[in-house]
Amino acid sequence: MEHVLCDLITALRGAGVRVSPAETMDALYAASLVGFEEREVLRDALAASLAKSRTEEGIFRDVFDRFFSPDGFSPTGPGALIPAEASPAGLDAPLSRMLLSGDATGLSMAMREAADQAEINGIHFFTQKSRYTQHILRAMGLEGVNRDMMRLSREDRETSRERVEALKAQKALLVERVRDFVEQQYALYAAPAQEALMERYLQDMRLSNLEQRDYERMHRIIRKMVKLLNDTLCRRKKQARRGVLDVKKTLRENLAFQGLIFQPCWKARRIDRPDMMVLCDISRSVAAVSRFMLLFLYSLNEELARIRSFVFCSNLAEVSPIFETHGVEEALGRLQKGIGLGVDLGRTDYGQVFRDIEARWLESIGRRTTVLILGDARNNYGAAETGILRRIHQRAKRVIWLNPESPPFWGIGDSEMRRYLPFCTLARECSTVNHLERAVGLLVRNG
Amino acid sequence: MGLDDNGACKTVEAVRRGFEGVGYVCSPRIATTLYLAHHLQKPILVEGPAGVGKTELAKAAAAYLKKPLIRLQCYEGLDESKALYEWKYGKQLLYTQILKDKLNDLIEGTEGLADAMARVHQYDDIFFSERFLAPRPLLLALQEKEGAVLLVDEVDRSDPEFEAFLLEVLSDFQVSVPELGTIHAVSRPYVFLTSNNTREMSEALKRRCLHLYIPFPDARLEQEIIRVRAPDVPDRLSAQLVAFVQQLRELDLKKVPSVSETIDWARVIMILHAQDLDPDLIRDTLNILLKSEADIAAAEAQLTEMARKAMR
Repeated sequence: MEHVLCDLITALRGAGVRVSPAETMDALYAASLVGFEEREVLRDALAASLAKSRTEEGIFRDVFDRFFSPDGFSPTGPGALIPAEASPAGLDAPLSRMLLSGDATGLSMAMREAADQAEINGIHFFTQKSRYTQHILRAMGLEGVNRDMMRLSREDRETSRERVEALKAQKALLVERVRDFVEQQYALYAAPAQEALMERYLQDMRLSNLEQRDYERMHRIIRKMVKLLNDTLCRRKKQARRGVLDVKKTLRENLAFQGLIFQPCWKARRIDRPDMMVLCDISRSVAAVSRFMLLFLYSLNEELARIRSFVFCSNLAEVSPIFETHGVEEALGRLQKGIGLGVDLGRTDYGQVFRDIEARWLESIGRRTTVLILGDARNNYGAAETGILRRIHQRAKRVIWLNPESPPFWGIGDSEMRRYLPFCTLARECSTVNHLERAVGLLVRNG
Repeated sequence: MGLDDNGACKTVEAVRRGFEGVGYVCSPRIATTLYLAHHLQKPILVEGPAGVGKTELAKAAAAYLKKPLIRLQCYEGLDESKALYEWKYGKQLLYTQILKDKLNDLIEGTEGLADAMARVHQYDDIFFSERFLAPRPLLLALQEKEGAVLLVDEVDRSDPEFEAFLLEVLSDFQVSVPELGTIHAVSRPYVFLTSNNTREMSEALKRRCLHLYIPFPDARLEQEIIRVRAPDVPDRLSAQLVAFVQQLRELDLKKVPSVSETIDWARVIMILHAQDLDPDLIRDTLNILLKSEADIAAAEAQLTEMARKAMR
């Protein structure tokens, strides 16, 4: 039974549940304790030792049910023509005997054995499906059945003809079932592996090249990323024991010992969660990327407490309330179309954007604020207003610019990036998810 | 472990019945996990919404196993000195004062500083012996001779540093006190960690535990719980109570009623000598189930409808 459980664990790992060797051993021991008689008890026992969160438990149940699903051989098949014990002349192959006697258990066992021989858990691509099906059928002895059918059809008797017909029907059913089985195994082992491959590939792909059908997958990747970042954020809440003595606290704590310092207290530094102001370009020149920028912004909004979000094109508008009140799909749709936001979707005008900031929001930028600008700095040859950016830079803690174009293109044509550069604490290219991730890492680490 | 003597953990079914004997109704999932925890000697990480009986599970385990329950409530800022051990500074100080007077006697007859120091060194370890050690819950649980049930409550509230520190205790049932060396468990305690999922626990911690998620019970199980916890409630009434509470949980509320609140409600209704639920009775006692004004208002809007369904 051990390797059956190991196969289950392989399938679980593929489905995204991290199972360590130690947990594998726990599961094996747990299974040997509760035995295999009761499906429910076994499932609970394995769930306790393998799935370590509520979502993982859901995945586990799903995989368990699929893994131990019945394989469709009905115990009393329609072709139960002969009694199981009898071995009538003309049927040499054990498989034909099983088929005709309707021996469901035997067939099922034979199929799983054959599947093991064919190493079905190595299936990775859909193109392999038919090969595995053929493998399993051959290993089960389908050729023997064919030979039996040939011989029987040569005999000119009524019973033989009946048997040939029955065998033909049963054979078709068997092929169908094996195909289903392979399909099932493919879902179990291959689909998750492919998903992981696809995610890795998408992470390095340029955002502007992504297609509509990948959007949903991207949502998931970005959400996963922000979640991860938030976890690390939580972890770094307090940075204690920096080696600096907290004199006041030490004196207070040690009063009880006549002022003798038994227990020194160290200064602890709380790391603030970042206070952020994000400006996102939604003009046509960055249309392909802005969807992901906005998605990223949306996820950030969910995780960070103090964040103000703005979108801009010809002018600037605050959109924080939209993120708070709408679901992700609707919010993104509204933002991209710019409906009811007070943002003018004409030519991109960074000069106007900065003038808007100066007029209305400059006051709210303080020395703790991080200003994050997502845009390509293509200003349509308008006034650059670098003076205002300089003032923002002086007030704010940091100005970070994430540009979807790669650095060689900065400053070419109507790009004002080179002129803005001196007033950015940090400017990075940001065209793949990995870039985004690195940028956020920076935000958090020095936050 | 002492348990095998009376065969209390022989089968999953025996565990389930044993817990029911001390007033805790287990679902099969809970019973299986408890059974495994006993045989694998692993801590259980219990997760679930507030009020489904996570803490109660540990108390029931202590009652069932007839072992003392040692409880460690976690909070932000909890550290080793509050969870594991602390030196009795005052006592150490006092003894130093006494020793000061005796110091002359002690180093009498020594020649030179080195000799005197060597003499003093013979005694310096006495200040860091178990006599000056004040054990805190974790150490107490390890020192308990007959074994104990250790409940680390709301572990998600503690700092990640403390969580990392727990790892040694949970995997090897030992702790290191620098001055004394490693202290091993006399008899392995049963460990329950509860979490309300305010933050994700680390992989390392999860790996060392069996995981148990306790959801809200289904109607049948909840009725069973009421039967055990409030035995004088007639079956028909408890069926109505449970049907109503189950409907409440379907509503979009800030905080849905927990199992403990269902039990409280059942008891209140018994005190009021009601034989049947009716909308007025529910309206008057709704504040036992729901604890916020907005929730009560939301429930009252659909109260008659829900009561009618529950009475059926």
